[in-house]
Amino acid sequence: MEQEFVDVLCAHLPRTGGAELSPSSDLREFGLDSMRSIELLFAVEDTFGVVLPDDRLTDDTFRTPGALWSAIEAARAQANT
Amino acid sequence: MGWREAISPAEVRATLDDEAPLGVDFGALDQVLARLTTEVGSGETLSACVQLATVLPILRSFAARHDLAGEVADRLIEGTATVALAATEADLAGDALLHARTRLTDDNGSWRLVGAKEWITNATSCNYALVLARHADATHFTSFSWVLLPTSADGVTIGPAAVARLEGSGLGHLRFRDVAVDPVWMIGTPGRALAQLTRQLSAERLAGALWARSACRNALQQTVQYLSHRETGSGTRWCNSAIRARFTRCLVRLTELDSLCRHYVTRPPTQLEAMALKVTMADVASQILGECADLQGAAALREGGIVDLRSELAMFAIAGGATGSMLEQLAEHADDLLLPRPRGAL
Repeated sequence: MEQEFVDVLCAHLPRTGGAELSPSSDLREFGLDSMRSIELLFAVEDTFGVVLPDDRLTDDTFRTPGALWSAIEAARAQANT
Repeated sequence: MGWREAISPAEVRATLDDEAPLGVDFGALDQVLARLTTEVGSGETLSACVQLATVLPILRSFAARHDLAGEVADRLIEGTATVALAATEADLAGDALLHARTRLTDDNGSWRLVGAKEWITNATSCNYALVLARHADATHFTSFSWVLLPTSADGVTIGPAAVARLEGSGLGHLRFRDVAVDPVWMIGTPGRALAQLTRQLSAERLAGALWARSACRNALQQTVQYLSHRETGSGTRWCNSAIRARFTRCLVRLTELDSLCRHYVTRPPTQLEAMALKVTMADVASQILGECADLQGAAALREGGIVDLRSELAMFAIAGGATGSMLEQLAEHADDLLLPRPRGAL
């Protein structure tokens, strides 16, 4: 996961408490509620200049940092084809 | 007079800004709402407010890649179509959209729509309803899609809401009984509808604040005129320092709301800011219209007078997010609001 992604993600998590995020961290435990998830979607798309693929717009994508990062990479790959 | 007669298509078009994040030129919308506040009734203004701040920008966001959305947006601008925003569910709190039950089901490759929406502005007058519908089971914002549904479709029934006020608002209820959904009615990407609506509600809440400001300003202008001409034998009511103090407190509240409106017209509010703005404008409108009614005495009771207006505009604390619901959601994010600088874009 790129540091820029981690920075964007952490800006939307109220309960990191200094803990380090891993790709499999449960984002809900770090306080990612519905309202924050929506803002996170727009923030990652704006930051990375991508649109998340239709098949990645699911609750699973917003469950862990790894899943969201994977969706961003998929969007980047889609944009480059 | 209806709002369509008061506002030209060019004026409607001027409220759009396709480059802005929320798709609205709030300065132009402010001018339109100020005119509507003086020229048409509250129900008509409500009808315009929802369509201009929410429905039209959403349709326009799809116009470049979706013919029906573009066509309906153009007709809305020209005044030949009315579009309802059908989000609030029957038998479900207005702020519980994540649990919305109106459902799109895949029937061997074709979509069917089943469900009910209640207390929908423009329901009884609309040609289309922009329906927020669930396509996936998860209680998550990605589980929703938009359907731009012609209300003439088989299986759609519409009934008026039992309200004595807000004439022209078209308030009513929509039922969808196994409606066969033409694929061209599905607009936008599945999974984005609730995110888009949530963001667009900030525009609707700001529009509500602009409307409340105009309504309060008009009420105070009427009231000071009344007080200045109301003889007491030794002057007019306006000469009474106690009355002047009560009136001036209202001016202070109006100035507070005005300051917020001026700020957010140039930089639209975030979700939390829009919730706080909605609570503020409902409180300010309630205080000012209540005080104006008291200060005008019996004159406030005339048909179409301040008591009627106050009763209609009580919906500032209800429609588009009730004050209690706004406060609950703000409380949930108290830690964000108490930070010196906001976290993320909330």
